[in-house]
Amino acid sequence: MRHKAICQLLFIALALPITFLAIASSAKAQVTQTTTAKLSPVDKEAVKRFEGRVKDYMKLRNAVKAKLPKLSKDATPQQIESYRENLEAAVRNTRTGAKRGDIFNHDGSDYIRRTLKVNFTGKDRVELRNIVFEGETATVKVRVNYPYPEQTELVEMPPTVLLNLPQLPPEVKYRFVGRNLLLIDEDINLILDYMTNALP
Amino acid sequence: MKRFIISAVTSAALLFSSSLSPSAYAQTSNANGSKAGNAARAHSAVKLTLPLKKDSLKFAVMGDTGTGSDKQQQVADKMVQYHGTYPFEFVLMLGDNMYGGESAKDFEVKFAEPYKQLLDKQVKFYAALGNHDQRLQKNYVNFNMNGKEYYRFKKGNVAFYALNSTYMDKTQLKWLEDELAKDTSDWKVAFMHHPPYSSGGKHGSDAQLREVVEPIFVKYGVNVVLTGHDHFYERTKPQKGIYYFVSGAAGKLRSGDLKDGSPLTAKGYDRDLSFMLIEVDDKQMHFQTISRTGETVDSGVIMHQKAKP
Repeated sequence: MRHKAICQLLFIALALPITFLAIASSAKAQVTQTTTAKLSPVDKEAVKRFEGRVKDYMKLRNAVKAKLPKLSKDATPQQIESYRENLEAAVRNTRTGAKRGDIFNHDGSDYIRRTLKVNFTGKDRVELRNIVFEGETATVKVRVNYPYPEQTELVEMPPTVLLNLPQLPPEVKYRFVGRNLLLIDEDINLILDYMTNALP
Repeated sequence: MKRFIISAVTSAALLFSSSLSPSAYAQTSNANGSKAGNAARAHSAVKLTLPLKKDSLKFAVMGDTGTGSDKQQQVADKMVQYHGTYPFEFVLMLGDNMYGGESAKDFEVKFAEPYKQLLDKQVKFYAALGNHDQRLQKNYVNFNMNGKEYYRFKKGNVAFYALNSTYMDKTQLKWLEDELAKDTSDWKVAFMHHPPYSSGGKHGSDAQLREVVEPIFVKYGVNVVLTGHDHFYERTKPQKGIYYFVSGAAGKLRSGDLKDGSPLTAKGYDRDLSFMLIEVDDKQMHFQTISRTGETVDSGVIMHQKAKP
């Protein structure tokens, strides 16, 4: 009995500093690293392939862009308008055969659907759904290789969800329209692909 | 546990004395004010509660502007009027800089024309993107975003962080954290569109955004966060040592949208459009919020103190 008590005390004496050190070292770590989920090896491969398809799009779009006049960081409204129109037309022309599922194909969309399901399910996620559904996007016609109307607001992507989705290049963004998840090239407002009923 | 450790370090860093009424505040300022300040207060056209010190940093704040409406113009005119007495160097734009389309004509009607007089006076504008803004606004010469969706700039002892709150992804959060970690400025001011704290009935606090940015703000000593999205003015009670303002009514108003009796609100105003003037004088950040018609609806000073080691 006495031996057991001594053992317990020893355990506490050893465990406490270790626990404290663990907490202290995690407090030093970057704040943003704490909220991201770990991927299984299978998901990791699927995400890699999804990111590869996005990269393929970027290669194509940047090749088109290279042939057009550059947009300055100090552009006039006329230059911005002209750049956007020209790039949009050129990219659309090179993607005339694009169709739903080219980027969000079965391989990548499985992981994304599961991630969204986890993030959007449960009572505490009501607010999260509200963010998505308060967006006034009902008039948006969701079609691949067609523009997202510039008059329509872009629904804020909940950051806690974004942290768990595959990372995209800065020009391409995830956006919700109702329950659909879109991939949009936001320099030219072009819908690259979409996933229907992405939200549970 | 981690959050507790972080907040305990920084929450005692600031003192606040905003409970003074504008008149009481003016008396306090007069006791220590400059000659320029006294002269300015004698100006009959505007009522200034700011100290108007010679070498202070002076700027204005406006959110949700881009309607091209008469009311937006009236707020812009009021800003010009105040600029005559209080020559602010630049304006922070809190997003929704352009509603309902972004043709070259829209840039004219919703920005260049309303603020022409300020632009002519060499006042610079620094924009953050809102949910109604297109990404290529980052390339517009008059928004001074230098081709970036989110960026930092420094004026005197104040560092400003313009954030894109409609898309707060890993890359942006890492950038924010890296920049703040090496920032030795006395004051750190973040500005973005969506409010982590707000008493708005239509939108209100963005808890999702708050979950990811607040720990960073607290950890690295951000002092003030300026936001829009809700179309009114609100100064919230300090949250974990940080002062949050909603100033989203320089072009649109959602009258009556402030929740009555909200425990967040230190001061709110949702009866008319408004904008803010801010003056940073060493360890004091003074603010004055002015309505479209020139009424001072809030004013005060945030005192900066170094965080305890």
